[in-house]
This record gives sequence, C-alpha cells and structure tokens, in this order.
Amino acid sequence: MSVRILLLLIALQGQAVLAADADPLQSVMWEYHHKGLLNGEPYVFDERVQVQVPPFAEDSRQVPIHVDARALGDEVVRIEAWADLNPIPRIFTFVPGNQVLPLVAIRIRVEQATPVRAAVLTRDGVWHVGSARVDAAGGGCTAPSVVRAQPGWEDRLGEVIGGRFARGDFSRLRLQVSHPMDNGLVGGIPEFFLNQAELRAADGQVLAALELYPAVAENPSLSLEVKGEQDTRLWLRDNNGNEFEAAL
Amino acid sequence: MRLFILIFAFCLTSSVHAELRYELQPQPLAEGVWLLEGSMANFDKANGGNIVNTGFIVTDSGVVVIDSGPSRRYGEAMREAIARVTDRPIIKVLLTHHHPDHVLGNQAFADVPIAALAGTTELLREQGNAMAENMYRLVGDWMRGTEVVLPTESVATGTLEVGGRTLRLLALRGHTGADLAILDERSGVLFAGDILFYQRALTTPNSPGLDVWLADLDTLQALPWKRLVAGHGPVADDAAPFAQMRDYLGWLDGLLRDSAASGADMNEVIQSPIPERFAGISLTRYELIRSVSHLYPRYEADALGRVDQ
Repeated sequence: MSVRILLLLIALQGQAVLAADADPLQSVMWEYHHKGLLNGEPYVFDERVQVQVPPFAEDSRQVPIHVDARALGDEVVRIEAWADLNPIPRIFTFVPGNQVLPLVAIRIRVEQATPVRAAVLTRDGVWHVGSARVDAAGGGCTAPSVVRAQPGWEDRLGEVIGGRFARGDFSRLRLQVSHPMDNGLVGGIPEFFLNQAELRAADGQVLAALELYPAVAENPSLSLEVKGEQDTRLWLRDNNGNEFEAAL
Repeated sequence: MRLFILIFAFCLTSSVHAELRYELQPQPLAEGVWLLEGSMANFDKANGGNIVNTGFIVTDSGVVVIDSGPSRRYGEAMREAIARVTDRPIIKVLLTHHHPDHVLGNQAFADVPIAALAGTTELLREQGNAMAENMYRLVGDWMRGTEVVLPTESVATGTLEVGGRTLRLLALRGHTGADLAILDERSGVLFAGDILFYQRALTTPNSPGLDVWLADLDTLQALPWKRLVAGHGPVADDAAPFAQMRDYLGWLDGLLRDSAASGADMNEVIQSPIPERFAGISLTRYELIRSVSHLYPRYEADALGRVDQ
C-alpha cells in the first residue's frame, strides 16, 4: 500500500469521526447559523427536541411548525427556532419559565424548501438541536401581503381570537393576532411586525417571554401550554410600539 | 476506447431527448361519448400530470371537448387521439373548472371557442400562471411550451344544443367556487368534473366549504344520469361515487371540526388516523395535509373567540 493511499484512508477515517456530530440534514447553512445564532456554543443533535412540519408546504406563506422539547423537562432555559434557507431565518426566541411548557406551535413563511430548526438551551449550557425539512414551491417571504389586500385591515390590527383547551395537568392556549407581519422584503412596505410577547399571570408576573421575527406568518397563530388553570394574559408589542393585550 | 466514449455519449444524449408521449386511448362510454382516463396518482415526472379524466362528445356538427388536460403536449395528444376515432372537426371546448390539470392543454385548441363559467375564467386569470409554474416544478419537461390560455366564451346553467345533442350544463361551486358539470342527455353520461372524485382523495384548494360541496352532490345525483365520469377515478354505473364522496366529506368536516374544538395544532391534525374504510382511496394522507392547510383556519376561527382587551 502506498503512503498516499494510507494518508487518504486516515483522512477518510477522520472525516467519519467528525460525521458523528454532523448535521443530520446536511444543510450548507448549519455552521453559519451555529456561529450566528448559537454563538458557536456546544451542541448536540437530539431527537428529544421534536420539530414537526408538514412534508411539503401547501401554502408557503403559512407553514405550521410545532416545536416540542417537553422530553427535556425542567432543564430548558431557552429555545431558538429558525429556518436555515430563509432570507430572514429567525422565527422566535422562547424563554418558557417554570410555569410554561417548552412547546410552541406557530406558522411561518418559507422562501424555498428548507430545514427548520429548534435549538434548546439546557441549564448545563448545551444546545439540543431538533430538525425537520419542509419541501416548498417557495416564495412565501416575498409574496404580496394577504392582510393588506383586505379592506379595513388597519381597524382590525391587534385583534386577538383565542381559546383555552384542557390538556391533562396543563392548559393549551391558542390564539391568532390580526397583524400583517411585514418583513420588509415586499416592495414599498417597510418592516412592521410583532416582535415581543409575554405571557403574564393575573398579578402581572411574567410566565414566559417570546421574541418574534418576521419569518412568522401574517396574522400569527400561536399555541402555548401553561400549568394548571390559572388566568393568563398575553401582552404583545410590534416594532412600531403598538401594544396589544388579550386575556386567556 | 474512443468509440466506446462516443457510444456512451450517444446513449446519454438520446436518453435526454427521449420523447415524452402521453399514450391517450379513447374509451367509448356510449354512442359518440368518449373518455380519456388518467391515472389516480399524484402529479409526477413519470405521468406528465396525466392524472385527470378528460372526454369528448361527437355530435353531428363536430366534436365537443371536455377539459384540455395538464399541458400543451397533452392537448396536442388529445387532438390526435380524437382524430383517430372521428374525422369531424372540433367545434368547442368546455372547461369544468380552472385547475391546471384540466385547462393547461388549451393552447392545442386555440382555433376553437373555449367555454367556461365566468368564475372559472376569473380564477384562471388570477391563479393560472402560479399554477402553471408549480406544474413545471412537479412534472418538468412535459410542460415545455405550456402557457395559460383563457376561455373565450362564457356559459351558465342551462342547455347547450349542439349537432343534434342536448348537453345540460350545471354551474356548481363546491370544489373551486366555479364548477361546471355536463350531462349528455341522450346517453345519460354525466361529466361531473371535480365535484366527483372516486377512489382518489378529493382536493380542496379553492373550496368555498365542504357544506357547499355536499349540497352540489345532491344536485348532481338528482339528474337523470346513467354513467358517472368523475374528474379523477374510474367510471361508475351506480351511485357509489356519490356515497363515497359524502362519506369522505363528512369525515373530513367532522375531523376538522373536532380537532379545532379540542385545540389541536395543524401538525397534529395532519397526523390524524384515516379510517380503514378509506384504505382503497389513493392519496388520502397527501390530500389531508393539503386540506388542513386550505380549510383548517376557518374551523379554527369558528372555535376561537375574541379575547383582546
């Protein structure tokens, strides 16, 4: 065996070892987002972080994603969600606190077929990353606004419909907010989107905090789960400073 | 060696240029009434989008075509197929609705009047280019040269007298908001368009509501039909397609309503079990995923109340 072949074999061997930690979806953007969104911090790909998406986006402007890190229990500190190949990748940052489950369902826009990620930071400082891939015809991020085409949408801005649904020891809170969530990628329409939300107890204590980014679809739909049957209020603010509040 | 490379290169190029052909075989349904039956699969590069039933009726004064298929190439193949069974000229095309698998063969019939409900023309004007683009993505080169051609005539509920035959036209709404069904009164063959799917899961991208669709089924079933041509699926001589449609629409409506009432998220709904009795229907899971996207927001809105303060 020549030295050259030996060296090649060693190189391949080294790659195989590296591959154990490699992205299961082999996305070209993984390293980039690991550096940019997770500050290059330690991570594992972890099947306990479930990211559910439809296999294909029937409507690229409203793609439902469901992030569930309940298997990591009380260790969860923060969840970052993003879509690798979106022009605006970030979806949300969620800090659930101890009264709220590490579970979020929300709808997003996708510009093309893309991996969707949820990285869950646990108390030991490690990011646990769950992934799913959604196929798409795309164009959801640059499609003309549906909300803005509806007459009178300004009057409905910030209207919230919602409901509370029993889920064993928890309550699922579901709501939908009337808001165009303009992402600045559609010609002539600057960014105008809900960027902050807090779930608060009746006494005003913050139970969970959510930062939203304009990958989130128009008229955002959101599901969260909270312990027990306590009354909660959801506070929302957009990047123009409009504040909205709903009781659930 | 050089010869080998040459042969290899030739094989490569010849497979690239292998001609895509729709093998359309007209099947007689009654005297002068013909069907071109599509597969029950999904749009695919293997079938060129030929997943649709089209047809034609030979009258004394010429041929009335019902839907033009998914591509220019299909429309052209359809014309050739028609010419194999009759030498009468084509005098009119009737479009059942604006979905791409039914209308993108229009270019091949640009020399005759193409008639549709006014609502169909409007929907095709709005959505045609986007649907055609998506078809290029799904079936590829079969679509080459295909462009949207809008209807040139509008029809409404009533009768169309043509070459000694009476075609009864019905304007329905359940599938797209503008759905034309055509009954050939002489033979009793009913071209139901996509108001009927049989053994193939129904699609809902433009449906105004499943209740509207259920009402359309009553309207169609009350007609004096003898044979049923669904938009997708096999021909039937009994009411089985109606029964299957009602059962499936009822299940879908109930599933979406119950899911919304229990606070389910879309991704949970698309994983719902599909009843065993629908096992013989193709593409149920695929179409459930699509229908949840199309319809679930309305059911959610009904299940949620105003909570802002």
